Formats: sequence, structure tokens, C-alpha cells
Amino acid sequence: MLDSFVLDKDHLLPLLRKLGKDYRLIAPVRNRHGDTLFTEIHDLDKVEIDLEHQPQSSLKPFFFPQVEVLSLYGLDRDAVSGATWYSFYPQLPENRPTVYFGVRSCDMMAVMYTDMIFLQSSEYDVYYARHRENAIFITIGCNRPFANCFCNATRSGPFLEHGFDIQLTDIGDRFFVETGRARGVRLRKQWSYFFRDAAEEDKRAQFQAALEARGLFSRLVHVDLVTRILARQKEPTEILAELSARCQDCGGCAYICPTCTCFTIHDQALDEDRGERLRTWDACTFSGFTRMAGGHNPVDPERQRIRKRFLHKLLHDVEHHGRTSCMGCGRCVDICFGGVDILRFIEMVSENETEPEETP
Amino acid sequence: MRDVLTVCCYCGCGCGLYLHVKDDRVVGSSPSRNHPVSRNNLCVRGWNAHGFIHDAGRLAEPLVRRDGRLRPASWDEALQITADALGRIVHEHGSDAVGVLASAKCTNEENYLLQKFARAVLGTNNIDHCARL
Amino acid sequence: MTNSINEIEQAQVILVSGSNTTRTHPQVARRFFTAMDRGAKLIVIDPRRTRLARHAHIHLRIRPGTDIALLNGMMRSIIDENLIDDLFIQMRTENYTTMRDMLFGIDLAQAAAITGVPEKMIRRAARIYAQAQRSVICYCLGVTQHIAGTGNVQSYANLAMLTGHVEQEFTGVDPLRGQNNVQGACDMGALPGVLPGYQSVADPGVREKFARVWGVELPVTAGMTLLDMTHVPDSAASLQTATPAIRAMYITGENPLLSEPALNSVRRTFHQFDFLAVSDIFLSETAQVADVVFPAASFAEKSGTITSSERRVQLMRKAIDPVGDSRPDDWIVRELARRMGYAMDYDSPAEIMEEICLVTPIYAGMYHDRLDREWGVQWPCGGRDQEGTQYLHKYSFTRGRGRFEPARHVEPAEPVDSDYPFALITGRLYFQYHTGTMSRRTPILERESDQPLLEVHPEDGRRLGLRQGCRVTVVSRRGRCRFVVELTDRVAPGNLFTSFHFAEAPVNELTVEASDPVARCPEYKVCAVRLEEVETC
Repeated sequence: MLDSFVLDKDHLLPLLRKLGKDYRLIAPVRNRHGDTLFTEIHDLDKVEIDLEHQPQSSLKPFFFPQVEVLSLYGLDRDAVSGATWYSFYPQLPENRPTVYFGVRSCDMMAVMYTDMIFLQSSEYDVYYARHRENAIFITIGCNRPFANCFCNATRSGPFLEHGFDIQLTDIGDRFFVETGRARGVRLRKQWSYFFRDAAEEDKRAQFQAALEARGLFSRLVHVDLVTRILARQKEPTEILAELSARCQDCGGCAYICPTCTCFTIHDQALDEDRGERLRTWDACTFSGFTRMAGGHNPVDPERQRIRKRFLHKLLHDVEHHGRTSCMGCGRCVDICFGGVDILRFIEMVSENETEPEETP
Repeated sequence: MRDVLTVCCYCGCGCGLYLHVKDDRVVGSSPSRNHPVSRNNLCVRGWNAHGFIHDAGRLAEPLVRRDGRLRPASWDEALQITADALGRIVHEHGSDAVGVLASAKCTNEENYLLQKFARAVLGTNNIDHCARL
Repeated sequence: MTNSINEIEQAQVILVSGSNTTRTHPQVARRFFTAMDRGAKLIVIDPRRTRLARHAHIHLRIRPGTDIALLNGMMRSIIDENLIDDLFIQMRTENYTTMRDMLFGIDLAQAAAITGVPEKMIRRAARIYAQAQRSVICYCLGVTQHIAGTGNVQSYANLAMLTGHVEQEFTGVDPLRGQNNVQGACDMGALPGVLPGYQSVADPGVREKFARVWGVELPVTAGMTLLDMTHVPDSAASLQTATPAIRAMYITGENPLLSEPALNSVRRTFHQFDFLAVSDIFLSETAQVADVVFPAASFAEKSGTITSSERRVQLMRKAIDPVGDSRPDDWIVRELARRMGYAMDYDSPAEIMEEICLVTPIYAGMYHDRLDREWGVQWPCGGRDQEGTQYLHKYSFTRGRGRFEPARHVEPAEPVDSDYPFALITGRLYFQYHTGTMSRRTPILERESDQPLLEVHPEDGRRLGLRQGCRVTVVSRRGRCRFVVELTDRVAPGNLFTSFHFAEAPVNELTVEASDPVARCPEYKVCAVRLEEVETC
């Protein structure tokens, strides 16, 4: 059983103000245009922290930025022999201690997934690691899921059982507080006077909120069923082709996805002798992603453009890591130009189910 | 990191997008969810609207042709040479010997000043841009 | 656009002509898909089988440059089947009888022969378009970049008026603008015949109004168009004409030495200039031949407003300081004016806009502080407290009654023949943009599309022994240019398609100088070429 406490809503701002002295504070802020973005907060009194709307982007840009300088390079010359060579000077990002406040369950689960990709695979990614060190997550459960959410079907929300440092649940005039990992426990202890122990009725209120939230999803999809169908049946080539035809090549689904981690690396010259080696987000839907040097492309861009994306999320990752890498945040649904979203794919595949005995 | 809401620099759809700025460098672009046109999405050009801003090929100083080659010059020099040349040609050949091309990449305010420049300063209606391309 | 982009979602029939919308205006194509998901029918008129055409219920694959013949055929069919909107024609239009008489002379079989589209399909498309309550027409440069461009546009307007598909929400005639502020540049009077807000330079009252604000007399005669300025005839010839040749130019953010048709002629013209000043963010092909080059600030480094295709005036906000020692163009113009003895004293773009509001009735309410609080405002907007205009021509056309302008088919300036048997169409790709100054420096865009591809129909390819990826030289009467072959049935047999993004394959060496006599829009969309020097690969 996790330790549980209560934080009065009146005490949230004072707590954040204290945290802001020791940490860089990042939270969903509703800006004057009405958009909600995860934003670095410099003055708590001048921003509107927004826990009512889903932040437009996930935390991905903070750990795996859209553009990141990996190293500087320059042409070095031996004064005696005149020989020249390129030297590379790695540029490690700063790792300021940071509190990420107001993180939704799906986005927290996504961070755990990207940890696995960048930190636990054979290549340890020092850049990701630097951003990720000294990060503390204060998450908030979703009492009211947003329009395209389906995290219940991907088992990544609306509330978390692990992974967070501190998880908040809105129970009226106060937050129900659970401490998870060690950093969260430490933080709670450091500022213990803001918290009080949770009473039985607080626990009941939290349980009730979690229960009610599960009934409020408007997009009903059966992700496990689709994983089983994909594993058992022939690849749904016609569905993939139909959706590919409407894909408009924007790359938005991969860019916005909290768990898409593909990147490309290129060199940008600064002048004739020096330059920067950059990595930028890439997407498996682009034909240049798979096109080989001779021009051959193993992926047919007309019929298979979105194959990798959907099968990776819903099938291959289940085979490799035991769970889908779609966290059900629904952002790619809204962002798609052609209506080629993962929900449509899931629905089409579900309808396409054949009886198990019919398949060899 | 700062996020600055602006309008995409490519086609005429007028999508609203955020430029993400870190240390006076634009390091990303992303859509605005509530913008009435882009409504949370961008095409590939919009998502990469930051791509050329810091390219090494950006012109960073005025250039003036000397001995047949373009060479760096001061703003004062470049502007004075231009003002003198345009003035001389208007004087010798008349206002209609000069033409101005405004730009579909410039702001309304800049285009307004460019046509005002052509009409009020040079005295010609020889002002156009690439509307037909 | 007479409509707003969002209105398209509510249309029942969408007729798209000469627009590769999914590639060039994805935000508009998104509305097509939404409308189709709600049951709308899509009609595409295009010589190419574009991605959008493959989603169309009817694709009218016309021979390049035969829009008028097709539309006259459709309208004849609409009259035959009595699908016209009598009330609309009677109440809101004029010159209908001339139109009708012309249409009575149209033979559908002949229309089919000219366009290459079967009669039955012309009738079907006409019926679908005319019968719906809310039909919208979207067109792009495939309609305008012809010598009959004006006639093409008028024919689409004729079709819309004949069936009453204008002047209402969700229905209208919508040209899609290609550049982020091409609409604004027109609105601001960066055109030889009009002052800001399309107020004619020929109107003494208008000139007087501007003269009072500007403190100088305004020139009376209309100026030269871009095409005329950059294609001055040989100096020997110009001595005999009254128009003086252009001796100097000041060019901002344009690259005519790659984007203009018949580049040979452009180069000759530029060679004759006494002086050329270019302001740009990169050393473009045009900047390379300039006498003075001004480093300009990019869109991220300045503030001001720009106007989208749907007439939405929006604030562009400065994100960073200008790179290097570059400066915004408004500063450059003000400095030049000052040095030439005319003070342009503004503290900010907002102050410039205040003057624009003063002299431009359609922009009268576009104050920056207001635009900053909203998602922009669509013109016409008559004052600070007014809302702006979602769609045009409500209650009546701007000019009063909509006038039918009958048009007749005109053959392209340069038809194919046995020496030059292919019709070359030029246009845009998705990942590249215009002359590539910005997109070719953006790594992902350049990776996706880094070669000047020439689309060739597989049948033509087989006949000429062309293989995917081999190089071939395209030759017209004006020049030659080398491309990489892409075999695809997007183009019809006998047609070729390529883009103008690539400086290493400047397609405008090939294009014709011929243009529409009214709009002076060059015929980029058709010229006759042949293929040579196939490189085996």
C-alpha cells in the first residue's frame, strides 16, 4: 500500500512556490491564446496553471527535443604536416533539477517507455539521460478523460499505480496525495507541513473518483483484442492500404506521439570549417525514412506508409516489451489530416475479426 | 524555452503555429490547438518551419558589388549607394524607369511601405509581386 | 476565397480544379476529407491523377488548357437538364441571355473531343454539381496559369452563378493562394493598377485621398506588371515603343531568375539594368547578380500582419532577434525613403497598420492590439468594433450584379507537334516550396525530395526506353534542362510534369513567355517539349 496524504487546494500554490526555489518548475499553462502547453514557469503569479485541459504536447520535447545539438565539429590542422581531420566535441545538455507538475498518467507512462528505449537498450543515450536525471514527476489522475482519450484500453490511465513520484487526485476542495518513488517520498517529507495524513473518507473519495472516471470514456475501443487479431490473423493489408491512401505525409502523428522516438542525424555547417551535428525528430511514415541509397524502398509508400506505425505500437512492442507502446493519449487522433488515426485503425481491425478456427 | 505563437511562413492556409525558442534560437515548431484554421495540425512544412532560420547560408551583412564581386559592406554604405542609384536613374530616365517587386513573403506593413515607396518616393506605379506564380 | 476554409466541411459537393490540394494546401484538403466522410461528393478537374483525384467520385482528366471547353459543356448540359437557378440569375446577375445564347452554340460531343473527357462524364459531373444545395468550387494555379486564365476563372464564376452556388455560407468560388501573404501583398496594393484595398490608381478621388495622407502627388498611369518588368524586349526594339525600358529594380524576397517563365529572356533583361538592389534572407539566384544585397530578417524575426487565402489578417509575432546583422524589410524601406528625402516615420509595424486602416476601407478595423487578442480578422472589416467577414458577396456581389462573361476555348500558346510531342506541365511538390530557398535548407524536407523528378507515363517510358531514376534532357524551343525520370500514371500519356523548385534543373528555361492578356499570368502549365539524351542506368 502506498502512503497517502491530503493537500488542500489552497496550499497547492504555496507548495509550488517552495518547490520553485529549488527546482525548475514545468507545468501545463493556459496561455493568453487559450492553448495549454507544458511551460517553464518563472513567476507563478503571472501564469494560469491549467489542470482542466489536456496539454497540447506531452513531455517528450523536454527529454527528447525536436532539434538537439549532439556535438560541434571542426576541421583541425596539424601545423607541421598540414594534415587535416575533423574533431567532434560532444555538447551535453544541462541537467537542471526539474519538477514536472500536472503530468497525466498517459504522459508519465510514456516517459517510462522512452526510458526503456533510451536508457535500457544496448545504446545508452547520454543526451536523454542528462535531461532525465533530476526529474521529479507530480502527476494528476484524470477524473474526466478528454474527448479522444482511450488510456483505459491501453492500461495507462486514467490513474497510475506506479511510476510517479507523487500522484494527485482531485477530490473536491483538496487533492488526495500518493507518494510513489523515493524522490516523491523525500519531497513530501521535506514539505510535510503542507500535507496531512489521508483519512478513510479521503481514500473513499479517491476510489470513487477513479471508479467514475472509468465510466466517462467516450471512445470505446478494444486494444487487447486488436493485438490478438493482429498476432493471429493475416496482416490487414487492405485496411493499411486504405488508410495509407489518405495519409498526407505530415509526420504529425509521430511528432506528437509521446512514445515515438525515431530521429535522424544531420550536420549543419556554421561556416566552412565548423558545424553542428544535430538530431531531429523523424517519422516512419516518410518515404525517406526507409529509402535506401540506391533509391529502392522496401516500404511501398502508397499502400504501406502507416503499416510500421500501427503494427509497431499495437503488435511488435507487445511482443518485445509485453505491452503496447500506445498510451491512449489520443493526441494523434486529433492531429491527423486525413483521418488516418489509430482509433480508426483499431475499429477497422476489430470489425475485420475472423473466427479463430478459420485461420490456419 | 519560450513558445511564440505566429503564422506559418509557407502556403496561404494561414496556420497558427508555435515557434519554440531556446537561447535566442528557434529549435522547434508545433501546431496551436485552438487556432481556427490549423486546429491542432500542421503539414510537414509547418512542422519544419524552423528548419532554415539558422542555416549557415543566411545573409548576415549587406553586400555591395565592387570590381564585379559582391563584398561585405556597412548598412550605411549599402543604403546610400542604393538611394543614390535610384535617385540618379529617376532623375535621368524618369520615374517609370524604376521597378519595385514587393513580396508575398513580406508582411502587410512591409508591402504597404514598399508600394508607398514606389509611388510616393520614386513616383511610379511599377510595383508588383509574384501573385501570378 | 469567398468562403472560409472551415465552411468547406459543410459542402455537399466540392469541385476542385487545377489544385493538388493534399500536397499544396493540406489544411484545405483536410476539410475535403471531413466533408466526404459526411457524405459529400468530390469532383476533380485535373490533367494529372493526383492523390486527391484518386479519392474523387468523378475525375475529369482533361487535356491541359481545356477548362473552358469542359465548363461550357457542363453548363450546356445544366441548361439542357433545366438545373439552372432561375431566381438567382434573375435577381443577382446580368448578361445571362448572352451567356445562354453562347451556350446554345456548344456541342457536347465537341467539348468531349477537345477535353478528352467522355460526354457522359461531363453530364454526370454537371448534374452532381448543379443538383446539390451547397456546392463549392476550389481552384488553384492550374486554372490561372494559362493564356486563357481569365476566361477560365470567369467560366468557373459563370458555372457558380448559373446554379446559384455563390453568396451563401458553405458555397462559393475559392481560389487557393499559394504563399503565406500573397493575398496581403495584393490587398496592400503591391500591384501596378491599384492602391491598397484595390482602389484604382486611375480614380482621381482615390489618388487625392492618398495624396493628402502621403503628402505627395501620385503617379497617374498604371505601372508595369512583373512579367513586363522582367521581360523587357531587346533594347533595339524598345527604342521604337513609347514605354521606357526598366533601368533599375529594387526586389524584396522574390527570385525571378528562377521563378519567371522563359528565363533566357529574364536574364537578358536583368543584364540591361543599370542597377539592381535585392533584399532576401539567402543569396538567391537573383541576389547573386545584384549590385546591392540587403540581408533581410525572416518571418521568425519580425512582427507584422499577414493575410491568408481566406482573407484572415493575422499577427506574425517576433520570436527571436534578427540573425546576424539582418534587418526587417520595413526598416530597410524606411531608411531608403529617408535617404531619398521622404520621411517614413513609424515607431512600429502597429503604427504602419494605423495608416493602412485609415486609407484602406476593407482593412479599416485591423488594429494590431485587436488582432493580438483574436485569431485574426477576415476582411472586409469596416472598423475596430466590427467582426470581419466569414464569406463574401452576402446579399449582393461587390460590383452589384454578378455579370456572366461567356468565354470560348483557346488553344494553348504552344501546342504539341511532331518536333515537340510532349506537353510539359509545371507545378509544386509537397516537401519543397517555390524556388527552394527555404525548404531545400530544411533537412527533413530536402531528404524527402532532393531530386528534380520528371513524371513520365510508363507507356511513354517504355516506348522511349526510359527507366525509373535515369536522367533525361527535356528540350523546348527556348532551352534545355536535365531531370530524373519518375515513371508514374499520375500523368497521362503524352504529358510530362515537373516542379520549379530545383536550381539545378531550372524548368523555366523551358516554359513559354506567353501570358493571359488581362491578368498577365504566364502560361506555366503547358509548353511543348521533347526528350533527349537518355542516360542509361
